[in-house]
Amino acid sequence: MLAARFAEVVLPHLGDALSLARWLTGNAADAEDVVQEACLKAHAGIAGFAGGNPRAWLLTIVRNASYTWMARNRPRSVVAVGDLADLDDVSPPPDKDADSPEAALIAKANSAAVEAAIARLPEVFRETLVLRDINGLSYREIAAMLGVPQGTVMSRLARARSLLMTDIGGRHEPA
Amino acid sequence: MSPHDDGLPEDPQDMKLMIHALIDGELDAAAALAVERRIAADPELAAEHQRILALRTAVAGVPRPAVSEDFLARIAAIAEVKGSDEAEATQAEAVKAQPQRHQGKVIEMRPRASARWFNSFDWRQMAASIVLTAFLASGATQWLMVENVPDSFAVNVANGHRRSLLAATPVDIVSSDRHTVKPWLDGRIGVSPPAPDMAKDGYALLGGRVEVIGDKPMPALVYRHHEHLITLVAAPRQNEAKSVPVADDLSAGGFLLVHWTDGAFSYWAISDAERPALDDFVARFRAAAATNPAAGSPG
Repeated sequence: MLAARFAEVVLPHLGDALSLARWLTGNAADAEDVVQEACLKAHAGIAGFAGGNPRAWLLTIVRNASYTWMARNRPRSVVAVGDLADLDDVSPPPDKDADSPEAALIAKANSAAVEAAIARLPEVFRETLVLRDINGLSYREIAAMLGVPQGTVMSRLARARSLLMTDIGGRHEPA
Repeated sequence: MSPHDDGLPEDPQDMKLMIHALIDGELDAAAALAVERRIAADPELAAEHQRILALRTAVAGVPRPAVSEDFLARIAAIAEVKGSDEAEATQAEAVKAQPQRHQGKVIEMRPRASARWFNSFDWRQMAASIVLTAFLASGATQWLMVENVPDSFAVNVANGHRRSLLAATPVDIVSSDRHTVKPWLDGRIGVSPPAPDMAKDGYALLGGRVEVIGDKPMPALVYRHHEHLITLVAAPRQNEAKSVPVADDLSAGGFLLVHWTDGAFSYWAISDAERPALDDFVARFRAAAATNPAAGSPG
Protein backbone atom coordinates (compact mmCIF):
# COMPACT_ATOMS: atom_id res chain seq x y z
CA MET A 1 0.00 0.00 0.00
CA LEU A 2 1.28 3.42 -0.89
CA ALA A 3 -0.51 4.90 2.10
CA ALA A 4 1.24 2.51 4.48
CA ARG A 5 4.59 3.21 2.86
CA PHE A 6 3.99 6.94 3.19
CA ALA A 7 3.16 6.50 6.87
CA GLU A 8 6.36 4.51 7.36
CA VAL A 9 8.75 6.65 5.43
CA VAL A 10 7.45 10.19 5.79
CA LEU A 11 5.44 10.63 8.98
CA PRO A 12 8.18 9.69 11.49
CA HIS A 13 10.41 12.45 10.11
CA LEU A 14 8.04 15.40 10.00
CA GLY A 15 9.79 17.02 12.97
CA ASP A 16 13.10 16.99 11.13
CA ALA A 17 11.40 18.22 7.97
CA LEU A 18 9.90 21.17 9.85
CA SER A 19 13.26 21.97 11.45
CA LEU A 20 15.05 22.11 8.12
CA ALA A 21 12.33 24.16 6.42
CA ARG A 22 12.20 26.51 9.38
CA TRP A 23 15.93 27.20 9.16
CA LEU A 24 15.95 27.54 5.38
CA THR A 25 12.89 29.79 5.11
CA GLY A 26 13.43 31.63 8.37
CA ASN A 27 10.12 31.08 10.11
CA ALA A 28 7.91 28.34 11.44
CA ALA A 29 4.67 29.25 9.68
CA ASP A 30 6.28 29.15 6.24
CA ALA A 31 7.96 25.90 7.24
CA GLU A 32 4.59 24.14 7.56
CA ASP A 33 3.56 25.27 4.06
CA VAL A 34 6.87 24.15 2.60
CA VAL A 35 6.78 20.77 4.33
CA GLN A 36 3.22 20.21 3.18
CA GLU A 37 4.28 20.86 -0.41
CA ALA A 38 7.28 18.61 0.05
CA CYS A 39 5.05 15.83 1.42
CA LEU A 40 2.83 16.05 -1.65
CA LYS A 41 5.93 15.54 -3.78
CA ALA A 42 7.15 12.78 -1.47
CA HIS A 43 3.81 11.03 -1.82
CA ALA A 44 3.92 11.26 -5.58
CA GLY A 45 7.44 9.85 -5.60
CA ILE A 46 7.17 7.31 -2.81
CA ALA A 47 7.34 4.34 -5.16
CA GLY A 48 10.79 5.53 -6.19
CA PHE A 49 12.11 5.35 -2.63
CA ALA A 50 13.81 1.97 -2.56
CA GLY A 51 15.68 2.09 0.72
CA GLY A 52 18.47 3.96 2.42
CA ASN A 53 17.85 6.59 5.04
CA PRO A 54 14.25 7.79 4.76
CA ARG A 55 15.06 10.93 6.71
CA ALA A 56 17.74 11.94 4.20
CA TRP A 57 15.37 11.14 1.36
CA LEU A 58 12.58 13.30 2.77
CA LEU A 59 14.94 16.14 3.70
CA THR A 60 16.27 16.27 0.15
CA ILE A 61 12.73 16.91 -1.05
CA VAL A 62 12.13 19.44 1.72
CA ARG A 63 15.30 21.30 0.79
CA ASN A 64 14.27 21.52 -2.87
CA ALA A 65 10.77 22.60 -1.87
CA SER A 66 12.22 25.30 0.39
CA TYR A 67 14.26 26.84 -2.37
CA THR A 68 11.40 26.62 -4.86
CA TRP A 69 9.11 28.26 -2.31
CA MET A 70 11.57 31.04 -1.58
CA ALA A 71 12.20 31.74 -5.24
CA ARG A 72 8.43 32.16 -5.68
CA ASN A 73 7.61 34.09 -2.53
CA ARG A 74 10.76 36.00 -1.76
CA PRO A 75 12.67 36.40 -5.00
CA ARG A 76 14.98 38.96 -3.47
CA SER A 77 16.25 36.92 -0.59
CA VAL A 78 17.49 34.07 -2.72
CA VAL A 79 21.20 34.33 -3.25
CA ALA A 80 22.25 33.08 -6.63
CA VAL A 81 23.77 29.72 -5.91
CA GLY A 82 26.40 29.71 -8.60
CA ASP A 83 30.01 28.88 -8.07
CA LEU A 84 30.52 28.41 -4.37
CA ALA A 85 34.18 27.54 -4.63
CA ASP A 86 35.20 30.99 -3.46
CA LEU A 87 33.14 30.61 -0.30
CA ASP A 88 34.61 27.22 0.38
CA ASP A 89 38.11 28.54 0.19
CA VAL A 90 37.55 31.09 2.88
CA SER A 91 39.64 29.78 5.74
CA PRO A 92 38.45 30.24 9.30
CA PRO A 93 39.89 33.19 11.20
CA PRO A 94 43.02 32.43 13.21
CA ASP A 95 42.57 31.62 16.87
CA LYS A 96 43.72 34.58 18.86
CA ASP A 97 43.14 33.02 22.25
CA ALA A 98 42.95 29.28 21.99
CA ASP A 99 42.88 28.69 25.71
CA SER A 100 40.32 31.31 26.71
CA PRO A 101 37.28 30.07 28.63
CA GLU A 102 35.38 30.38 25.37
CA ALA A 103 34.00 26.85 25.61
CA ALA A 104 32.27 27.71 28.87
CA LEU A 105 30.74 30.84 27.34
CA ILE A 106 29.48 28.89 24.35
CA ALA A 107 27.96 26.20 26.54
CA LYS A 108 26.20 28.86 28.64
CA ALA A 109 24.69 30.74 25.70
CA ASN A 110 20.92 30.72 25.86
CA SER A 111 19.00 29.12 23.06
CA ALA A 112 17.61 32.43 21.76
CA ALA A 113 21.15 33.70 21.24
CA VAL A 114 22.11 30.45 19.50
CA GLU A 115 19.04 30.65 17.26
CA ALA A 116 19.84 34.23 16.31
CA ALA A 117 23.43 33.29 15.54
CA ILE A 118 22.34 30.39 13.31
CA ALA A 119 19.92 32.70 11.50
CA ARG A 120 22.79 35.12 10.80
CA LEU A 121 24.91 32.47 9.09
CA PRO A 122 25.29 32.74 5.30
CA GLU A 123 22.92 30.31 3.66
CA VAL A 124 25.39 27.64 2.47
CA PHE A 125 26.91 27.37 5.93
CA ARG A 126 23.56 27.45 7.73
CA GLU A 127 22.22 24.70 5.51
CA THR A 128 25.16 22.38 6.17
CA LEU A 129 25.13 23.07 9.91
CA VAL A 130 21.38 22.40 10.20
CA LEU A 131 21.58 19.19 8.17
CA ARG A 132 24.38 17.90 10.42
CA ASP A 133 23.74 19.28 13.92
CA ILE A 134 19.95 19.56 13.90
CA ASN A 135 18.84 16.91 11.41
CA GLY A 136 21.70 14.54 12.26
CA LEU A 137 22.64 13.49 8.73
CA SER A 138 26.07 12.02 8.02
CA TYR A 139 28.70 13.80 5.93
CA ARG A 140 28.06 11.35 3.13
CA GLU A 141 24.31 11.96 3.16
CA ILE A 142 24.81 15.72 3.16
CA ALA A 143 27.34 15.49 0.31
CA ALA A 144 24.90 13.44 -1.74
CA MET A 145 22.05 15.87 -1.02
CA LEU A 146 24.03 18.99 -1.89
CA GLY A 147 25.86 17.38 -4.78
CA VAL A 148 29.29 18.37 -3.45
CA PRO A 149 32.32 16.33 -2.32
CA GLN A 150 32.53 15.31 1.33
CA GLY A 151 35.57 17.53 1.75
CA THR A 152 33.39 20.51 0.89
CA VAL A 153 30.82 19.43 3.45
CA MET A 154 33.57 19.19 6.05
CA SER A 155 34.98 22.62 5.31
CA ARG A 156 31.54 24.26 5.22
CA LEU A 157 30.61 22.63 8.50
CA ALA A 158 33.86 23.71 10.16
CA ARG A 159 33.36 27.22 8.81
CA ALA A 160 29.75 27.36 10.02
CA ARG A 161 30.72 26.20 13.50
CA SER A 162 33.64 28.58 13.61
CA LEU A 163 31.37 31.53 12.72
CA LEU A 164 28.87 30.44 15.37
CA MET A 165 31.56 30.06 18.02
CA THR A 166 32.88 33.53 17.30
CA ASP A 167 29.36 34.95 17.33
CA ILE A 168 28.19 33.24 20.51
CA GLY A 169 31.47 33.11 22.39
CA GLY A 170 32.49 36.61 21.39
CA ARG A 171 29.38 38.47 22.42
CA HIS A 172 30.19 38.21 26.12
CA GLU A 173 33.62 39.68 25.78
CA PRO A 174 34.47 43.36 25.50
CA ALA A 175 35.21 44.36 21.94
CA MET B 1 54.85 21.39 14.67
CA SER B 2 56.97 18.28 14.72
CA PRO B 3 56.08 15.76 12.03
CA HIS B 4 53.81 12.90 13.08
CA ASP B 5 53.67 9.47 11.54
CA ASP B 6 50.02 8.80 12.31
CA GLY B 7 48.76 9.61 8.81
CA LEU B 8 46.79 12.65 9.93
CA PRO B 9 47.10 15.97 8.08
CA GLU B 10 49.95 18.26 9.12
CA ASP B 11 48.08 21.36 8.02
CA PRO B 12 46.47 22.89 11.13
CA GLN B 13 43.22 23.72 9.29
CA ASP B 14 42.91 20.20 7.92
CA MET B 15 43.67 18.81 11.37
CA LYS B 16 40.74 20.83 12.73
CA LEU B 17 38.46 19.18 10.19
CA MET B 18 39.54 15.86 11.66
CA ILE B 19 38.42 17.04 15.10
CA HIS B 20 35.01 17.92 13.67
CA ALA B 21 34.88 14.50 12.03
CA LEU B 22 35.79 12.84 15.35
CA ILE B 23 33.00 14.65 17.18
CA ASP B 24 30.55 13.82 14.40
CA GLY B 25 31.36 10.12 14.67
CA GLU B 26 32.64 10.02 11.10
CA LEU B 27 36.01 8.41 11.85
CA ASP B 28 36.78 4.73 12.10
CA ALA B 29 38.34 3.45 15.33
CA ALA B 30 41.94 3.74 14.14
CA ALA B 31 41.57 7.30 12.91
CA ALA B 32 39.61 8.29 16.02
CA LEU B 33 42.40 6.95 18.21
CA ALA B 34 45.03 8.88 16.27
CA VAL B 35 43.04 12.12 16.49
CA GLU B 36 42.41 11.64 20.21
CA ARG B 37 46.15 11.20 20.75
CA ARG B 38 46.86 14.44 18.90
CA ILE B 39 44.25 16.25 20.98
CA ALA B 40 45.75 14.91 24.20
CA ALA B 41 49.19 16.13 23.17
CA ASP B 42 48.22 19.59 21.93
CA PRO B 43 46.47 22.12 24.17
CA GLU B 44 45.37 24.19 21.19
CA LEU B 45 43.62 21.22 19.59
CA ALA B 46 42.15 20.29 22.97
CA ALA B 47 40.69 23.80 23.31
CA GLU B 48 39.19 23.55 19.82
CA HIS B 49 37.76 20.14 20.69
CA GLN B 50 36.15 21.62 23.81
CA ARG B 51 34.69 24.56 21.88
CA ILE B 52 33.15 22.34 19.21
CA LEU B 53 31.65 20.06 21.86
CA ALA B 54 30.24 23.09 23.68
CA LEU B 55 28.77 24.41 20.45
CA ARG B 56 27.14 21.07 19.67
CA THR B 57 25.54 21.14 23.12
CA ALA B 58 24.35 24.71 22.58
CA VAL B 59 22.89 23.91 19.14
CA ALA B 60 21.23 20.75 20.49
CA GLY B 61 19.47 22.98 23.05
CA VAL B 62 17.70 25.01 20.37
CA PRO B 63 13.99 24.14 20.55
CA ARG B 64 12.62 22.05 17.69
CA PRO B 65 9.40 23.04 15.95
CA ALA B 66 6.61 20.85 17.31
CA VAL B 67 4.62 18.64 14.93
CA SER B 68 1.10 19.67 15.91
CA GLU B 69 -1.74 17.14 15.83
CA ASP B 70 -3.41 19.35 13.28
CA PHE B 71 -0.38 19.38 10.99
CA LEU B 72 0.20 15.64 11.34
CA ALA B 73 -3.44 15.03 10.42
CA ARG B 74 -3.11 17.29 7.36
CA ILE B 75 -0.05 15.40 6.12
CA ALA B 76 -1.49 11.97 6.88
CA ALA B 77 -4.56 12.99 4.88
CA ILE B 78 -2.40 13.39 1.75
CA ALA B 79 -1.91 9.64 1.57
CA GLU B 80 -5.53 8.83 2.38
CA VAL B 81 -7.01 11.09 -0.29
CA LYS B 82 -4.52 10.38 -3.03
CA GLY B 83 -3.82 6.76 -2.18
CA SER B 84 -7.36 5.59 -2.84
CA ASP B 85 -7.32 6.10 -6.58
CA GLU B 86 -3.74 5.27 -7.39
CA ALA B 87 -2.39 2.01 -8.61
CA GLU B 88 -0.74 0.18 -5.81
CA ALA B 89 2.92 -0.48 -6.09
CA THR B 90 3.29 -3.32 -3.68
CA GLN B 91 5.83 -3.05 -0.98
CA ALA B 92 7.36 -6.30 -2.14
CA GLU B 93 8.32 -4.72 -5.42
CA ALA B 94 9.92 -1.78 -3.74
CA VAL B 95 11.81 -4.12 -1.47
CA LYS B 96 13.12 -6.19 -4.37
CA ALA B 97 15.03 -3.20 -5.63
CA GLN B 98 17.03 -3.13 -2.42
CA PRO B 99 20.01 -5.42 -3.13
CA GLN B 100 20.75 -3.60 -6.35
CA ARG B 101 20.70 -0.33 -4.55
CA HIS B 102 23.25 -1.59 -2.10
CA GLN B 103 25.59 -2.37 -4.94
CA GLY B 104 25.05 1.07 -6.34
CA LYS B 105 26.03 2.56 -3.04
CA VAL B 106 29.30 0.70 -2.80
CA ILE B 107 30.49 2.66 -5.76
CA GLU B 108 29.02 5.91 -4.60
CA MET B 109 30.46 5.68 -1.12
CA ARG B 110 34.07 5.35 -2.11
CA PRO B 111 35.79 8.50 -0.93
CA ARG B 112 36.14 10.86 -3.83
CA ALA B 113 39.55 11.51 -5.25
CA SER B 114 38.72 15.20 -5.29
CA ALA B 115 38.39 15.33 -1.52
CA ARG B 116 41.57 17.22 -1.05
CA TRP B 117 41.58 16.72 2.73
CA PHE B 118 42.49 13.11 2.27
CA ASN B 119 45.25 13.62 -0.24
CA SER B 120 47.84 13.55 2.49
CA PHE B 121 46.94 10.06 3.68
CA ASP B 122 45.92 7.89 0.82
CA TRP B 123 46.28 4.64 2.75
CA ARG B 124 43.33 5.65 4.84
CA GLN B 125 41.23 6.27 1.79
CA MET B 126 41.99 2.75 0.61
CA ALA B 127 41.35 1.24 4.01
CA ALA B 128 38.06 3.13 4.33
CA SER B 129 36.87 1.93 0.98
CA ILE B 130 37.71 -1.68 1.82
CA VAL B 131 35.93 -1.44 5.17
CA LEU B 132 32.90 0.22 3.60
CA THR B 133 32.71 -2.37 0.85
CA ALA B 134 32.94 -5.22 3.36
CA PHE B 135 30.32 -3.55 5.53
CA LEU B 136 27.92 -3.07 2.66
CA ALA B 137 28.50 -6.56 1.32
CA SER B 138 27.62 -8.05 4.70
CA GLY B 139 24.59 -5.78 4.91
CA ALA B 140 23.38 -6.95 1.52
CA THR B 141 23.86 -10.59 2.48
CA GLN B 142 21.88 -10.10 5.64
CA TRP B 143 19.13 -8.38 3.71
CA LEU B 144 18.81 -11.36 1.39
CA MET B 145 18.64 -13.67 4.38
CA VAL B 146 15.94 -11.58 5.98
CA GLU B 147 14.10 -11.53 2.69
CA ASN B 148 13.95 -15.30 2.69
CA VAL B 149 12.30 -15.49 6.08
CA PRO B 150 8.57 -15.64 5.44
CA ASP B 151 6.70 -12.68 6.87
CA SER B 152 10.00 -11.05 7.71
CA PHE B 153 10.76 -10.70 11.39
CA ALA B 154 12.50 -7.37 10.80
CA VAL B 155 9.44 -5.89 9.13
CA ASN B 156 7.32 -7.03 12.07
CA VAL B 157 9.71 -5.42 14.52
CA ALA B 158 9.57 -2.21 12.48
CA ASN B 159 5.78 -2.28 12.41
CA GLY B 160 5.64 -2.74 16.19
CA HIS B 161 8.02 0.16 16.69
CA ARG B 162 5.99 2.39 14.40
CA ARG B 163 2.73 1.50 16.13
CA SER B 164 4.31 2.35 19.47
CA LEU B 165 5.33 5.80 18.17
CA LEU B 166 1.76 6.49 17.10
CA ALA B 167 0.19 5.09 20.28
CA ALA B 168 -0.59 7.23 23.31
CA THR B 169 2.35 5.66 25.13
CA PRO B 170 5.15 3.49 23.72
CA VAL B 171 5.18 1.21 26.77
CA ASP B 172 2.69 -0.96 28.66
CA ILE B 173 4.59 -0.80 31.91
CA VAL B 174 6.20 2.54 32.70
CA SER B 175 9.25 2.23 34.82
CA SER B 176 12.91 3.06 34.78
CA ASP B 177 13.48 0.34 37.37
CA ARG B 178 14.39 -3.03 35.91
CA HIS B 179 13.17 -4.64 39.13
CA THR B 180 9.68 -3.54 38.07
CA VAL B 181 9.95 -4.18 34.34
CA LYS B 182 11.39 -7.69 34.57
CA PRO B 183 8.78 -9.17 36.94
CA TRP B 184 6.04 -7.54 34.89
CA LEU B 185 7.28 -9.16 31.67
CA ASP B 186 7.92 -12.42 33.51
CA GLY B 187 4.37 -12.39 34.86
CA ARG B 188 2.85 -11.67 31.46
CA ILE B 189 4.72 -13.97 29.15
CA GLY B 190 7.18 -15.85 31.33
CA VAL B 191 10.23 -14.33 29.67
CA SER B 192 12.36 -11.44 30.79
CA PRO B 193 15.52 -10.24 29.08
CA PRO B 194 18.26 -8.24 30.79
CA ALA B 195 16.97 -4.69 31.27
CA PRO B 196 19.84 -2.49 32.40
CA ASP B 197 19.04 1.16 32.95
CA MET B 198 21.70 3.10 31.07
CA ALA B 199 20.48 6.59 31.95
CA LYS B 200 24.01 7.63 32.85
CA ASP B 201 25.09 6.75 29.32
CA GLY B 202 22.24 8.77 27.83
CA TYR B 203 19.85 5.86 27.30
CA ALA B 204 17.07 5.98 29.87
CA LEU B 205 14.89 2.89 30.33
CA LEU B 206 11.30 4.03 29.85
CA GLY B 207 9.63 0.68 30.40
CA GLY B 208 8.52 -2.39 28.54
CA ARG B 209 5.75 -3.82 26.43
CA VAL B 210 4.76 -7.08 24.82
CA GLU B 211 5.17 -7.45 21.05
CA VAL B 212 3.42 -10.23 19.18
CA ILE B 213 5.59 -11.37 16.30
CA GLY B 214 4.69 -14.41 14.25
CA ASP B 215 2.07 -15.58 16.80
CA LYS B 216 4.59 -15.42 19.62
CA PRO B 217 4.52 -12.84 22.41
CA MET B 218 7.94 -11.33 22.93
CA PRO B 219 9.34 -8.89 25.45
CA ALA B 220 10.25 -5.44 24.19
CA LEU B 221 12.13 -2.80 26.15
CA VAL B 222 11.92 0.89 25.33
CA TYR B 223 14.80 3.29 25.83
CA ARG B 224 14.93 7.01 25.22
CA HIS B 225 17.95 8.71 23.69
CA HIS B 226 17.46 12.48 23.39
CA GLU B 227 14.27 12.80 21.35
CA HIS B 228 14.51 9.31 19.87
CA LEU B 229 12.95 6.12 21.14
CA ILE B 230 14.77 2.82 20.80
CA THR B 231 12.75 -0.38 20.90
CA LEU B 232 14.67 -3.51 21.84
CA VAL B 233 12.87 -6.76 21.06
CA ALA B 234 14.39 -9.80 22.79
CA ALA B 235 13.35 -13.04 21.13
CA PRO B 236 14.14 -16.12 23.21
CA ARG B 237 16.49 -18.22 21.09
CA GLN B 238 15.14 -21.40 19.62
CA ASN B 239 17.57 -24.26 19.28
CA GLU B 240 17.54 -23.94 15.54
CA ALA B 241 17.94 -20.17 15.59
CA LYS B 242 21.05 -18.96 13.86
CA SER B 243 23.64 -17.39 16.06
CA VAL B 244 24.52 -13.82 15.17
CA PRO B 245 27.40 -12.97 17.47
CA VAL B 246 28.30 -9.78 15.66
CA ALA B 247 25.71 -7.06 15.38
CA ASP B 248 24.19 -6.81 11.93
CA ASP B 249 22.99 -3.53 10.53
CA LEU B 250 19.69 -3.57 8.69
CA SER B 251 16.90 -1.25 7.90
CA ALA B 252 13.22 -1.94 7.70
CA GLY B 253 10.14 0.13 7.32
CA GLY B 254 12.13 3.33 7.21
CA PHE B 255 13.94 2.67 10.49
CA LEU B 256 17.45 1.55 11.28
CA LEU B 257 17.73 -1.89 12.79
CA VAL B 258 20.55 -3.76 14.51
CA HIS B 259 20.32 -7.51 15.10
CA TRP B 260 22.57 -9.66 17.26
CA THR B 261 22.53 -12.70 19.51
CA ASP B 262 23.78 -12.86 23.09
CA GLY B 263 23.19 -15.71 25.52
CA ALA B 264 19.60 -16.83 25.62
CA PHE B 265 18.19 -14.09 23.45
CA SER B 266 18.18 -12.89 19.90
CA TYR B 267 18.00 -9.09 19.98
CA TRP B 268 16.53 -6.60 17.53
CA ALA B 269 17.16 -2.92 18.26
CA ILE B 270 15.22 -0.45 16.14
CA SER B 271 15.07 3.32 16.13
CA ASP B 272 14.86 6.45 14.07
CA ALA B 273 18.00 7.64 15.86
CA GLU B 274 21.08 8.02 13.70
CA ARG B 275 23.35 5.08 13.06
CA PRO B 276 26.23 6.04 15.42
CA ALA B 277 23.77 6.52 18.31
CA LEU B 278 22.10 3.18 17.68
CA ASP B 279 25.46 1.42 17.39
CA ASP B 280 26.59 3.06 20.61
CA PHE B 281 23.40 1.93 22.34
CA VAL B 282 23.92 -1.64 21.18
CA ALA B 283 27.54 -1.68 22.36
CA ARG B 284 26.59 -0.32 25.77
CA PHE B 285 23.62 -2.64 26.15
CA ARG B 286 25.73 -5.68 25.32
CA ALA B 287 28.39 -4.58 27.79
CA ALA B 288 25.80 -3.95 30.52
CA ALA B 289 24.01 -7.24 29.86
CA ALA B 290 27.30 -9.14 29.82
CA THR B 291 28.30 -7.88 33.25
CA ASN B 292 25.14 -9.36 34.69
CA PRO B 293 24.32 -12.41 32.57
CA ALA B 294 22.07 -13.96 35.23
CA ALA B 295 19.68 -11.05 34.81
CA GLY B 296 18.00 -12.64 31.80
CA SER B 297 15.87 -15.74 31.95
CA PRO B 298 14.37 -17.46 28.94
CA GLY B 299 10.92 -18.82 29.39
